[in-house]
Amino acid sequence: MRTLRNHGLSLFFLAIFLAALVGQAFTGQDSFNHAQAAGHADSLTIWRYVTSSSYWADVLENWQSEYLQFTLYIWVTVWLVQKGSPESKPLDQAGTESDEDQKLGEHATADSPRWARAGGWRTRVYSNSLVTVMLTIWVLSWFGQGVAGRIDYNTQQIDSHEAAVGFLRYFTTSDFWNRTLQNWQSEFLAVGSMAVLSIYLRQRGSPESKPVGTSHEATGTEG
Amino acid sequence: MLRTLLALALVTLLVGGCGPGADRATARAVTERFFAALGSGDGARACAELGQDTRSKLESQEQKPCREAITGLGLKSAPIAHVDIDIVKAFVRFSNGDAAFLDEGEQGWELSAVGCKRQGTPNEHPYDCDVED
Repeated sequence: MRTLRNHGLSLFFLAIFLAALVGQAFTGQDSFNHAQAAGHADSLTIWRYVTSSSYWADVLENWQSEYLQFTLYIWVTVWLVQKGSPESKPLDQAGTESDEDQKLGEHATADSPRWARAGGWRTRVYSNSLVTVMLTIWVLSWFGQGVAGRIDYNTQQIDSHEAAVGFLRYFTTSDFWNRTLQNWQSEFLAVGSMAVLSIYLRQRGSPESKPVGTSHEATGTEG
Repeated sequence: MLRTLLALALVTLLVGGCGPGADRATARAVTERFFAALGSGDGARACAELGQDTRSKLESQEQKPCREAITGLGLKSAPIAHVDIDIVKAFVRFSNGDAAFLDEGEQGWELSAVGCKRQGTPNEHPYDCDVED
């Protein structure tokens, strides 16, 4: 019970992620088979569909944009500030901050993570580990979107009796960039909205919000 | 986290290209059987490699049974240069620039269009096919 309580946030999002992924599988299969029927072609079973490029192109185009969103958000908030937003650092703290602020070197404590205490390259790597991992996942899922998206795109090409496009060529097509940019615009809008709306609006009890009675001018304050 | 990244990479590879090797060989074999049957004048065997919709359209177009219509079209064979498998669709390109298209159904891979000639840029302009669904 304590585990559930202490890890409720991650468990909740894991549960709804899995539910949405399963739901996408069934709705995607239905949509795909609808198009198949319109072309007098055979339907795919659910297993065939969830192992197909059509499903994974749709999944990965969303994953890559989410991880790009977090990569950018984590990284730019080191340097850029937003007055009044709880999503921003205080206005006078732009940059990577001091070792004292970051509890590094002589300021590390006994319960600091091992690589934070180690110094040298290990601390440098660890100091950038969050962006590094998010960036890696973004690159891999964007690449995966390209791999799977090419195959999905080529099914439409073949249906129209046009030639299938090669791997590198697909990355220059409007299909690839349309899939990419339609996701990017929504992610950037969401993050920007959060940074601005949280200046003026409140959600009592949420760490994503300033305390209800906090001034609009207060920057970097969370509830 | 490392396991997650490796799983993501594995999914990408499986979905992208490691899977359809057998399909590629089958689509190639269907196409080669079709042209081999045509070459030996066996219209019935050639028609057996066509999809139902393709056969029906050919018969409607030529006003004769498929086995008779298919041998009268003068379709020419050429070495297969490339086979591309895309879920349940296949694109076959011949060394002379012509193409054939296949669909995978319950009966397996079948030709949906054959005798297809380039019309402009192949990626942007449909092929003009002598036989199609």
